[in-house]
Amino acid sequence: MKVLLIEDDVAMVPHILRELSVNGHQFSNAVDGQSGMSQALTGDFDVLIIDRMLPAMDGLSIVKALRRNGNQTPVLLLTTMGGLDDRVEGLEAGADDYLVKPFAMSELLARMNALARRPHINAVQTTLRVNTLEMDLLRREVRRDGQLLDLQPQEFKLLEYLMRSDGRVVTKSMLLEHVWNFNFDPQTTVVETHMSRLRTKLDKGFTKAMIITQRGVGYRLVA
Amino acid sequence: MLNLLATNHALEDQLRSRVHDDFNSFSDEAESEGTDSVIKEISERIAKPTFPGSYFYVADSNGKRLLGNLKDVPIAFGWQRLPGTFADKPAREPAHEVWGQGKVFPGGYFVFVGQDAYRVNVAENTLIMSYLGSGVLAIVAALAAGLLLSRGFLSRIDAINHTSQSIMQGHLKQRIATRGTSDEIDNLSNNLNRLFDSNQALLDSLQHVTVNIAHDLRTPLSRLRNRLEEIQQQSGLPPRSKQRLNEAIADSDQLLATFSALLRIAQIESGSRKKAFTNISLTELAEKVFAIYHAVAEDEGHTLVAKIAPDIKCLGDTELLFQLCVNLVENAIRHTPNGTEIILRIKCPATLEVSDNGRGIDAKQRSKVQERFYRLEQSRTTPGNGLGLALVAAIAALHGSSLALEDNGPGLITSIALQPI
Repeated sequence: MKVLLIEDDVAMVPHILRELSVNGHQFSNAVDGQSGMSQALTGDFDVLIIDRMLPAMDGLSIVKALRRNGNQTPVLLLTTMGGLDDRVEGLEAGADDYLVKPFAMSELLARMNALARRPHINAVQTTLRVNTLEMDLLRREVRRDGQLLDLQPQEFKLLEYLMRSDGRVVTKSMLLEHVWNFNFDPQTTVVETHMSRLRTKLDKGFTKAMIITQRGVGYRLVA
Repeated sequence: MLNLLATNHALEDQLRSRVHDDFNSFSDEAESEGTDSVIKEISERIAKPTFPGSYFYVADSNGKRLLGNLKDVPIAFGWQRLPGTFADKPAREPAHEVWGQGKVFPGGYFVFVGQDAYRVNVAENTLIMSYLGSGVLAIVAALAAGLLLSRGFLSRIDAINHTSQSIMQGHLKQRIATRGTSDEIDNLSNNLNRLFDSNQALLDSLQHVTVNIAHDLRTPLSRLRNRLEEIQQQSGLPPRSKQRLNEAIADSDQLLATFSALLRIAQIESGSRKKAFTNISLTELAEKVFAIYHAVAEDEGHTLVAKIAPDIKCLGDTELLFQLCVNLVENAIRHTPNGTEIILRIKCPATLEVSDNGRGIDAKQRSKVQERFYRLEQSRTTPGNGLGLALVAAIAALHGSSLALEDNGPGLITSIALQPI
């Protein structure tokens, strides 16, 4: 994957770049808004990681300018401000996802992967399929090996998100944000509870577990 | 007006002097030539009517009418104003008045000499009418002026009210418009505007400090976390060091979470979120919380029950009210013993209530638990930052309400009455 990092925090940049390199991604970087902007416009990137506060041109302005220019490269906005309006402002400016510093590198990679492989044109899908697992989005039915599973609405939503993630790792905070619209950290085991119930129903009568827990990172649906 | 008054006076004087002249000449004549001569002259005068008419009346010593062109005159001395009861003509419309003077002449004759006061009356009426007219006009003018003034006054007071309310609703940049007339209202408006300016300056500096803290403390904290993470990924670390590293990362995450919660409370308290208020369905919001949490409660050994009234709507911030509801339900799950029943209620008109039959909170402690970092003795062992209810209280205050804590005998009832639509 080709990644452009526009970030001015000198301690942060090598850390992120090393992580990208370890995970086999190609990358470029810029340390101010203007040069970042021109690189973003000229290069062909799969994902842009842009810090919100930058010298010369702030992150929000870059995203807005890119979108005005018709550039639809997925943008992951980084910020130190975890304010209520900041996330909305970022998304309204045209960013695709938003990550508050500090974050675990695994979180950054998971979100980056989710953005990069997101289909640009959202084809209307009525059926999702992962191996022998089949989800009918219209009838709200799930079958494994043709066997109908009795899922609660919350479990259905969770499984749908996992299936759409195409075998990539999804973090707990991604699930909270996208499945349940939490923009804060709950103090109870919301994710674990629903995940464990889903697993039980999914794997009942099968020997192979479909959901893998990646310790300290998140969950992944195996094909 | 003065003109009319003068005319009226002149007419009256003229009338009176004409009556006086006649009367005096008759008196003199009676003295010198006897009353008979006067009576004779009167009868001659009656035969030659003049305009405006002169009127006479003569009665004998018994009070019986002898002659005259007036029908009936009371035997009285001095000036009289009589309704015109004319002997020769039918009553005139409008009724003419006769003003005149009477006295008893030698021989016991009562003589009355008068003049038709029609013109004086007309002038008088005109005067009265013009008085009345101008009076009414003056009243109307005064009312109109008063109305205009008070409307202007009220609209300016209204503008002040409107602006203050709008500022309270989070439109902090608004100011009251002034006219530059430096009258009392303008002065008041200017003073209020200055007050709003200083209020805004305080909020701005708070915001500034908050953002600075966020940036200046979060950045080094992120670096710290990154470095710990980097070390954690090195191979060949002794298991004990790895364990310690994990704990250090968890600590830094906890620090950041507390920090974020504080910033969030500060931001809610600034009131700027009021701009984002919309009509929201409390019913749907609570149903969503119930759908997510009944399984969580079950896993924790509790029962979560929903008693949600249909179609309850209120004005507010969806995201914050969702967090408020989640916080109350999570508090009930986390701080009650196993087997507790928790009820999530939405009541008419727009009250959100979470109750449990757990241990409850001592009456003295109920207001303290809404303070930042206050933790009950019994909850010190439960993980948490002591900011949950402070955040709920801030969200309730933003919605013009407050968090009510009551005894459920046993247990606790937490509720917030929201603004129904």
